[in-house]
Amino acid sequence: MDFGPYLLLASLEGLVTAAVLSLTALGLSLVFGVMRIVNVAHGEFFMLGAVLAWAIATPIAGNPALGFALAMVCSPLVVGAMALLSERLVLRRLKYEPEATIVATIGMLYIIQQLALTFYGPDARAVQAPFDWRIQFPWFGYSGYKLSVVGASITLMLLTWLVLARTRIGLMLRATQYDGETAQAFGIPIDRVYCGVFAVGAMLAAVAAVLIVPIQQAHYLMGLDPLLLSFIVVIIGGLGSLKGTVVAAVVIGMSDGIISVFFSPTLAKILATLLVAMVLVYRPQGLFGKAVR
Amino acid sequence: MLSVHDIDCFYDDVQVLRGFALELREGEVLCLLGRNGAGKTTALKAIMGLVRVKAGKILLGDTELSALPPHEVPKRGIAYVPQGRRLFAELSVADNLEIGLMTRGKGRPVRDTVLELFPVLHARLNQRAGTLSGGEQQMLAMARALCLEPDVLLLDEPTEGLMPSMIARVRETIAELRRRGVSTILVEQRVDAVLPVADRVAFIENGRNRETVPVEALRTDLDLLHRYVGVGV
Repeated sequence: MDFGPYLLLASLEGLVTAAVLSLTALGLSLVFGVMRIVNVAHGEFFMLGAVLAWAIATPIAGNPALGFALAMVCSPLVVGAMALLSERLVLRRLKYEPEATIVATIGMLYIIQQLALTFYGPDARAVQAPFDWRIQFPWFGYSGYKLSVVGASITLMLLTWLVLARTRIGLMLRATQYDGETAQAFGIPIDRVYCGVFAVGAMLAAVAAVLIVPIQQAHYLMGLDPLLLSFIVVIIGGLGSLKGTVVAAVVIGMSDGIISVFFSPTLAKILATLLVAMVLVYRPQGLFGKAVR
Repeated sequence: MLSVHDIDCFYDDVQVLRGFALELREGEVLCLLGRNGAGKTTALKAIMGLVRVKAGKILLGDTELSALPPHEVPKRGIAYVPQGRRLFAELSVADNLEIGLMTRGKGRPVRDTVLELFPVLHARLNQRAGTLSGGEQQMLAMARALCLEPDVLLLDEPTEGLMPSMIARVRETIAELRRRGVSTILVEQRVDAVLPVADRVAFIENGRNRETVPVEALRTDLDLLHRYVGVGV
C-alpha cells in the first residue's frame, strides 16, 4: 500500500481511539472538575462496562444488534448505579477529602477488578458488532462499525456540551464546580450534584467500553490502559475542560494511531508521556484549564 | 422574625461562636459590629447552614433553620451576599442572576425588577462576572441575592474595597430594601458607612453578642464603639 492510503488507514484507527478515549476521559474530567476527586477506579468502571456488555449481549440469540442495543442501555445503567452506591457509601463518608478519596478509589479499583475476575473469569471475550458493513475506499475497505463509534462519540460529546452549556442542570453543575459553598447558599444541593456527576462519569466510561468491546475484547484487566490514557488526556487538556478533553483526546488518539502504525505503539506511549511532562512543566493547568486562583 | 438562640459553632476544634444570640425584627437593618475574628461572618454562615450549629437553634418564624440542609435555607427566603462577593467569576452576569432566580423558582419579571435597582448590570448581561469592576461585582452580588425575592438579607462587608461613590450606592440600596420591607443583617468594618442606614447595632466579641442597642444610643454613648470595635464615630 502507498504512503497516502496507509496514512489514511492509520488516521482512521487513530480517530476510533480518540473517540473512545474522549468519552472515557470526559468522565474522569467531569468528576475531577466538579468534585475535585481523582478517581483511580475510573478504568474499572470502563472494564465493568465491557464485561457487562458481554454478559448482557451474549445470551441474546438472533440479530447481534439486539444484544448490543440492550448492552448499550443496561451496562451504563448498572455501572452508574454501582458508582452511585460507591459515592454514597465511600466518598461521601470521607467528605470528598482529596487524599482520602485517592486511597479509597484505589481500594475500589481492586474490589471491582477482583469481583470481575471471580464472576467473569480471566478470559478475554468479544461481543459481536451490531452490524458488519464495510465502507469501500479506493485503496481498502474499512469497518462501518468503527466509523459509527466515531459518530456515536461525537454525538455524545455534543449532547454533554449542550447539557453543560444550555440547561439549568448544567448551570448548577458549573456553579458547584466553581464554588460549592456559594452554590449551596443559592439552593443547589451539592451532595446530589456530586452523586449525579460521579454516576454520569462512570456511565460515560461504560458507554465507551460498550462501543469498543466489539473491536477489543472484554477482559478483567482492560481498565488500566484507558485510565492511564485518560489521565494523560485530562492533564494535557486541563481538568474539567470539555474542549480541552476533546482536543487532547484527538491529539493523543491520532498520534497513537499514526505512530503505532508507522513506528511502534511503545514510541506512541513515550511521546504521549513526554507531552504530559512538558505540559506539567510549562502549563500545569493544562492547555485549556484555568489556573487555580 | 429571625432568631438565633444561644448557638455554638466550631471550625474543626476551634470554637468560634459561644452561646451566640440574636433577634432580627421585621423590616429592620441590624448591623453586626466587632473586631476581626469576633465571629460576625461565622454567625451569617451559621444562619445559612454553611457552618454546622453544634448547640442552640436558629428559627425563622416557626421553622428551625439549623435543622435544615444548607441548600434548603435560601428556599425559605434568606439570601446571602458573602464577603468578597464570591461571584461565579467564569459565568456571565446573566447566568449569575439565573442562579439566584432558580433558588426559589423566580422568573424573568423578578430579574427585570432587580435590574431596575442596578441599571449598570443591564448592559453587561453577557459579560463574564469576573471581568466587572469591583463596584459592579458588588452590585451583581447583591442583585443575585435579590433575585430570590428574600424576606431576610445577610450582607457580609458589602463596602469592602469600594470607592466612596460605590459605598454610597450600596447604602442607598440597603435603605431602599428596608423601604420594601426586607429585613437585613449587615456585617461591616466601616462603621461610618453603615450607621446611617442601621436601626440597631449588635456588638460581637469573642463569639458572643455582648450588647444590642438602637443606633441612636451610639450618639449618646460614644464609649460603646471604642469598647467593642476600637474606633470612634
